[in-house]
Amino acid sequence: MPNKDAILSFEDLEIHFTLRGQILRAIRGVSLDVARGEALAIVGESGSGKSVFTKSAMGLLDANGSIAGGHIWYDGKDLAAYRTEKEWLTIRGKEIAMVMQDPMTSLNPLKTVGDQILEAVLLHQGLRGEAARQAVLEALAAVGIDDAPRRYRQYPHEFSGGMRQRVVIAIAVACRPKILICDEPTTALDVTIQAQILDLIKQLQKKLDLTTIYITHDLGVVANVADRIAVMYAGDIVEVGRCEEVFYDPKHPYTWALLSSLPQLGVKGQELYSIKGTPPNLFQEVKGDAFAPRNPRALNIDFVERPPFFEVSPTHKARTWLLDPRAPKVEPPELIRHLRQQGGSRHV
Amino acid sequence: MSDTRETLLEVRDLQVTFGSRRHPFPAVDGVSFDIYKGETFGLVGESGSGKTTIGRAIIRVNPVSGGTVRYQGEIISGKVSREVDRKVIQEIQMIFQDPMASLNERAKVDYIVSEGLTATAGHLSEGERKARVEQALSDVGLLPEFASRFPHEFSGGQRQRIGIARALIMQPKFIIADEPISALDVSIRAQVLNLMAKLQKERGLTYLFIAHDLSVVRFISDRIAVIHKGKLMELAESEQLFAHPLHPYTRSLLSAIPMPDPVWERNKQLLVYDPAQHHYSESNPPLWKELEPGHFVRGSEEELDIYRKML
Amino acid sequence: MALFRYKDSKTQALADHLNETAQRQFTQEELFQFAPYDPDAGERGGYSGYSYWRSTLRAFRKDRTAMFFLCVIALTLLFTFLEPLIPYDRQPNTIYYTERAEINLFTRQPVLDENGDPVVKVSLAKDLAPGKEFWFGTNTIGQDLWSQIWAGTRNSLAIGFAVACVDALLGILVGVLWGYVRKLDFLFTELYNVFDNVPQTLLVIIISYILRPGMGTMIFAMCLTSWLQTARFVRNQVVIIRDRDYNLASRCLGTSTWHIITRNLLPYLVSIITMRMALAIPAAINNEVFITYIGLGVPLETPTLGNLVEAGRKVMSEAALRYQLFIPVIILATITISFYIIGNAFADAADPKNHVN
Repeated sequence: MPNKDAILSFEDLEIHFTLRGQILRAIRGVSLDVARGEALAIVGESGSGKSVFTKSAMGLLDANGSIAGGHIWYDGKDLAAYRTEKEWLTIRGKEIAMVMQDPMTSLNPLKTVGDQILEAVLLHQGLRGEAARQAVLEALAAVGIDDAPRRYRQYPHEFSGGMRQRVVIAIAVACRPKILICDEPTTALDVTIQAQILDLIKQLQKKLDLTTIYITHDLGVVANVADRIAVMYAGDIVEVGRCEEVFYDPKHPYTWALLSSLPQLGVKGQELYSIKGTPPNLFQEVKGDAFAPRNPRALNIDFVERPPFFEVSPTHKARTWLLDPRAPKVEPPELIRHLRQQGGSRHV
Repeated sequence: MSDTRETLLEVRDLQVTFGSRRHPFPAVDGVSFDIYKGETFGLVGESGSGKTTIGRAIIRVNPVSGGTVRYQGEIISGKVSREVDRKVIQEIQMIFQDPMASLNERAKVDYIVSEGLTATAGHLSEGERKARVEQALSDVGLLPEFASRFPHEFSGGQRQRIGIARALIMQPKFIIADEPISALDVSIRAQVLNLMAKLQKERGLTYLFIAHDLSVVRFISDRIAVIHKGKLMELAESEQLFAHPLHPYTRSLLSAIPMPDPVWERNKQLLVYDPAQHHYSESNPPLWKELEPGHFVRGSEEELDIYRKML
Repeated sequence: MALFRYKDSKTQALADHLNETAQRQFTQEELFQFAPYDPDAGERGGYSGYSYWRSTLRAFRKDRTAMFFLCVIALTLLFTFLEPLIPYDRQPNTIYYTERAEINLFTRQPVLDENGDPVVKVSLAKDLAPGKEFWFGTNTIGQDLWSQIWAGTRNSLAIGFAVACVDALLGILVGVLWGYVRKLDFLFTELYNVFDNVPQTLLVIIISYILRPGMGTMIFAMCLTSWLQTARFVRNQVVIIRDRDYNLASRCLGTSTWHIITRNLLPYLVSIITMRMALAIPAAINNEVFITYIGLGVPLETPTLGNLVEAGRKVMSEAALRYQLFIPVIILATITISFYIIGNAFADAADPKNHVN
């Protein structure tokens, strides 16, 4: 049964892809509740399944992918049972909207920016004529685009990358969705713009009472925006907790590795930390802990049995045998033990 | 300090203009810097700042419309003799940003890595060529058996290392790394950075490291230049730049570096750079001045005075 | 069963150990001890053995319709060349006569001669419907349509292949140089604009007046202009990919233009070029039909589908003689549709995006 407090609830979700006759288990039985109004970040390497996972809630899986098991509960309905485009159109855009990595691919290059937002306004806000136009101008202003009346008539190519992403956000928000999924929203942008876009999404979330889900490979980016973080590896969530818990008290060796590899933590003249090897081949059955072959601290049991979730706190749990009382005591790497104190003294 | 070091590359008043004659667009506008032998020179700027264009102008892919580039004292920009062209090809190599786009998908790794040899060392026997490919692959931590595979078999980090092996086989002295890690997952960026550092140590390579993110260049660059809209804003030893960032643009870049610390992040103040704040005019032109040894900054006399006080 | 598999022998030892670990029965204590770790092991990764061409073929073979038409075209080709060998000795250009008993128009009885035998009259075997003697019937001047049709198909296919080959050769060569060598771009574009504005029909008319009409002239006339379009097409494709990073990398490595063209550009274009060629063959055949229709075709002693369709068209108004039009049209349509469907299916199959299933 779906969790009552959750706006979106994934239950034992299994997603399979058929690729050249083989089955790829992209998501391997993942359960996750997204609380109403929170900002959740799903973090993982490319190929971990983080995008596939969230796309499944919008019916946007590629043609060769399908939900092979489990449920996606939203508003009392099981989205995993949706089959037709018509069903999905009641959710997509309307209830759950998405902002993608590359703004150019989500915008129509042949239509003015204003008209593209107008479409969403007409469709979802039920406004007409001058009122709809006003709503578009307000939407442009709301995402921090100055001189809205002039910008209304411009085409996407006349905008810079950051401005385009603002337009995409304006379109997404104009549909008045309950949930906003941001798939690597800033990866294609410059650092200074990155911070501004994240700030904007944060503001909109507060103002419009949105639930946001961020998808990223860069833990460094989400410290600012996320209330909760779920770390994904090889189609499975290995650790989930509040932002502070994951940054200041990570438990899973994979989370340790992700944190350690942040270049911000590098020390000049020393080797930077890097995760060795490549993620497992999901065409083959993964036995035990998927991260074990790349984990210098793997236990024998990691190769034999999939670890269950061990609860660290009511809000923090991790899938690692290291939390088992029988396991030897292992400290997280020195590099990430004092993130709290380190941050403040780093620059400036 | 700079007197004792040997200058490998000298860029003077470099100008690269794109667009038509009627609508010229200066991508690089009067950029000057030196790169010393054996150092890593970081060039940081956002997209469209001209940083990539500078790299490509040095390696003679983009034509230069003004200024000069000297390599070991010899002019390598504009029209040059065949020998100089050969020399540039031999000694200056490039690592590209997108490991997906920079490898020929239809060729095997063997061909990709040995491509440079066919042009410059045509006399090699098949056995020698194979041996050199295997050597180059193992130099970048890849297995010799990878030679018979196609690029799409590899992860982003591995592909980037194939790209490095392709450059290494030429035994270059100077490598232009154009955002070599920005297309990679954070978790494997270090693989490439560590490899580059190791190769530099072993072979005394000199790097021009182009990036859009200051946090990345800090740990591998000896000196960093910050570029904005085709013009250099600030140039300093990297620790100096982080300790005393003078130009407002540098400071905005620094303030934007995301930190893996939620509490710190929530309290951080973003500095937004507005080029209109400078009020440059004919009587108040921006200058490129060395304010302390090795620390250059762009600003009007007035601004430079303020910067001096900040040091 | 091996749970952990690696491709190279060096890590096999570790893989064996991992497999052993995974299958061994551990005591409770052992389970929670550290496992051995080889930092390089993960580097090997999976090896999918994906090959572009194999996957293209696979995807193509999955397309039932295309495979069907491939068989059709293969059989047609095979048959046109084997046809002269089958025991049916009629020549395409021979005019046949029939011996027929004369019929009295009033009594509808055979006319008998003085010996009581039927009077046999030798007449032109014209406009005979398909039957035992003439499998596809005869045409208005008494030639055997069966042999004419297959000879015509043979000739038309020859024209199609010849034009497509010249088209491909010249088009690719010029197109690649035009697209890749920047200095040539301006010159070639201007030349293209000039030549492209000369109507092909006009050119064909002039050439047929100057040269002796025949297969060679026809092929020459069609080749003269058709490759221009191919060149432009190839040029546009080259422009799209010439500045990709991997080509830039090749330039930085001092790779010669020739090598860049043959190793970097053509392998990427080969699928779309193949498709274009598949479509160029029926296009040339149809073009020949059109040119014949306007009266500038190959002389009648060389049967082609164009000549046959044109001959059939002339008798189209008589219902009993429509077979003379229908038979060549069916052959023409089969060839055109087959090539078209095969070409499109190949283009789809050659797109790596379609290699997932």
